[in-house]
Amino acid sequence: MTARTRILSAIRTALGPGKPPAQIAAEAAALLDPADIARPRLAAPSLPDAFAQKATALGTSIDRVASLADVPRAMARYLDAHGLPPRFAMQPAPDLAALDWQGLAPHPGLAPDEPAALGLALHGIAESGSLVIHSGPENPILMAFLPLHHVVLLREATLLPYLEDYAARLSAETVPRNAILITGPSGTTDIEGSYVRGAHGPGFLHVILIAEPG
Amino acid sequence: MSALPDFKNRARAALADPVLKVAIDRTTGNAERKRAAAVAAFPEFEAARARGKAIKDHVTAHIDHYLEQFERNATARGAQVHWAADDAEARAIVTRICLAADAKLVTRAKSMLGEEIGLPHALADAGIERVETDLAEHIIQLAGEAPSHIIWPAMHRTREQVAELFKAGHQPPPAAEDPATMVQSARRVLRQKFLSADIGISGANFLVADTGATCTVTNEGNAELTTTPPRIHIVTAGIEKLVPSTAHAFALLRLLVRSATGGEMTQYTTFHAGPRRPGDADGPEEMHIVLVDNGRSRMLANEFREMLRCIRCGACMNHCVVYRQIGGHAYGGTYPGPMGSVLTPVLDGLAASRDLPNACTMNGRCAEVCPVGIPLPTLLRAWRRRSWREGLEPGSLRAGIGIWAQLARRPRLYRLATRIGLPLMRLFGKGGWIARLPLAGGWTAHRDLPRPAARSFMDQYRARQKGRK
Ligand code: SF4
Repeated sequence: MTARTRILSAIRTALGPGKPPAQIAAEAAALLDPADIARPRLAAPSLPDAFAQKATALGTSIDRVASLADVPRAMARYLDAHGLPPRFAMQPAPDLAALDWQGLAPHPGLAPDEPAALGLALHGIAESGSLVIHSGPENPILMAFLPLHHVVLLREATLLPYLEDYAARLSAETVPRNAILITGPSGTTDIEGSYVRGAHGPGFLHVILIAEPG
Repeated sequence: MSALPDFKNRARAALADPVLKVAIDRTTGNAERKRAAAVAAFPEFEAARARGKAIKDHVTAHIDHYLEQFERNATARGAQVHWAADDAEARAIVTRICLAADAKLVTRAKSMLGEEIGLPHALADAGIERVETDLAEHIIQLAGEAPSHIIWPAMHRTREQVAELFKAGHQPPPAAEDPATMVQSARRVLRQKFLSADIGISGANFLVADTGATCTVTNEGNAELTTTPPRIHIVTAGIEKLVPSTAHAFALLRLLVRSATGGEMTQYTTFHAGPRRPGDADGPEEMHIVLVDNGRSRMLANEFREMLRCIRCGACMNHCVVYRQIGGHAYGGTYPGPMGSVLTPVLDGLAASRDLPNACTMNGRCAEVCPVGIPLPTLLRAWRRRSWREGLEPGSLRAGIGIWAQLARRPRLYRLATRIGLPLMRLFGKGGWIARLPLAGGWTAHRDLPRPAARSFMDQYRARQKGRK
C-alpha cells in the first residue's frame, strides 16, 4: 500500500463518510461571509490615503506623483536623496522601457549586490499597505529581493481595499507561479528582539504612487 | 527529535542559568506587549478568531477532500506531490530527491516541520551541505543547537553570545557587535549561498486547495531567496496546513501575524504554484511538495483533534509561565511550550514525555491567547488522564493520590486530617510561601507553594454561617 492510500484511508476511517464536494464548497464559502465582521477597518476613507498610512507605518517611503511621465524625475530624486549612482536595475516591462529616462541609466540585468532596482506593482492593498507582484517573463522575482533599495511603481487605480479583494482577482485569472505580497522592507527581530532592516532582502522600500490611471 | 526522559534535569539547569532568563524575558516580554497592542487595535479580533477556528475545523472535517483537491491542482501546475506517512518516509523522500539531483549544497528556509521530521540530520547523513537562511536558524546552526522557539528559534541567545558565534563563524568577522552590523554580516555570508545552492527547501504556512499553491510567510525575505535561484524547490508540509482558498488563508493570516509578532502582515507573503513556466524570468525548474502525516491522521480520531487547528503562532509559549522560566530547550521536543506539551507525546510517545503535560500550572493563559481557540489546558489534562490510565505515573504519586481519594470519600476524616495538616504545613512556610515541604519534594523542588490559611475553607465557611444566624 502506498503512503497516500494509507494516509487517506486512516483519515476516512476517522472521519466516516464524506459530503458531496459541492456541499463542502458551499460550507467553505459561508465561513467567510460576511467578510466585514472579521477584518480591520481601513486606516482612511480613501484607498490611496489608507494605503499610504499603513505602508508608511511599516517603514516604506512614499512619493506621490501625477503621472507615469513623472517617474524618471521621482526616481532621480530618490537616488539622489540616498547618495546612489544613477544606474539601477529595472524590471523588463514595456511601460517602463517606454519612459524617457533622461540622465538615468536603467539596466536589465541584476547583480547579486545590486544597490537599487525599479519594478512595477500589480496591485496595492489598502488594508495592510501591501504591494502585489507576480512572477512572469516580465518580472524576475529576484528583482524584489536582491537589491538594497527596492523602488516600486504603484498606480492608484490598481489599489484594492482588502486582502479578500485580491484573492477574488486571483481566482478569476490563471494562478501565477509566484504571487508575492510585499509589506514593508525586509527586517528581522532575531537578535534579542531588536528590529534591524535589510536582513536578506531590501532594507529600503520606496513606493512611487501614481495618481493618473494608465 | 525526541524528548529525552530527563525533563526535570534540563528544567533545573535552565532555572539556574541567569543569562537564559534574561534572553527569554526580553523576547517574550516584547512579544506579549506587541500582541496585546495588535489585538487592542483590531476590535474585530474575537470575530476573526471564531472564524479562524471554524475554518480550521471545517478543513479538519473534510481533510481527505482538500488533500485530493490540493494534489490535483498542484500537479496541474507542474509540481510533484509526494506523501509521507511518518518522519522516516518524509526524510527518505527529501534525501532521494537531493541525491537524484546530485545536490552538494542545499539552502533551507525555517520550517518547524523540517525539524519535526529530522531533516537537518538526514541531509548531513546523506553528505549534503545544508545552509540555514533564516537569521535565527543561521545563529543556531553556528551554535550546533536546535530551535528553542517556533517563531524566534534563537531567542535563548543574547546579543553578546551571537557576537561570539559570528566572530568565530563569519569570514571576515563582523566589524562590531551591534545587531545592525551583525545582521549585515549575515547578509553578506548568506548571499553567496543563496546563489550557489542546488536545492532550496522550505516549509509552508498554508496549502491552498483550490489553487494548488503553497504559502510561506517571512519577515526577512530569505524564503524567496532560498526558493527562487536553485534548480529545485522542495516544500515539506503537514497535512493540517490545508485551507480551501486564498481568501481563507488571508483570514488565518490576520490571526497568525498578530498573535506571533504583533504585526498585521509579515513583510513577505508568498504563494508558490509549481515550477518555472515557459518564458519566466527566473524560478526553479522542479517543485516537489511532500505532504506529511506523522501522527496527524491519528489525532483526527482521538481527543487531541482540536490540536490540528494550531497555526504555529507561538503565542501560547510567549504567555506561558513555565516556558518563560525554563525556555524551549528544556522541553526536549521539536515544539516547546503549551502546544509542544500537547504535540510531543503524539510524536514521541507519552512514556518518553509524560513530564511535559505534568509541568503545566493550568493557569489558562495559553488558551486565552490562542488565536484558534485551542483548549490547551483541557488537552494537557487529557494526557495526564491517559498517563494515569496507562500506569505511567510513579508509584509514590499513585499511593499519595490513593490515600487522598480514600480520605475524600469520608468527610469527617477529611476534615480531621486538614485540621491537623494545615497548622503542620504552616510551620514550613516563610512570608506566605512554602519553599520546601517534606513528602512533597516533587512539587516544591521546582516551585514554591503558597502557605495555607490557618483554618480550612470548610471551617471558615461554617463559622460564617453560624455568625449569620
Ligand atoms: S496552540 Fe494556539 S497559541 Fe499555541 S502556537 Fe498553536 S495556534 Fe498559536
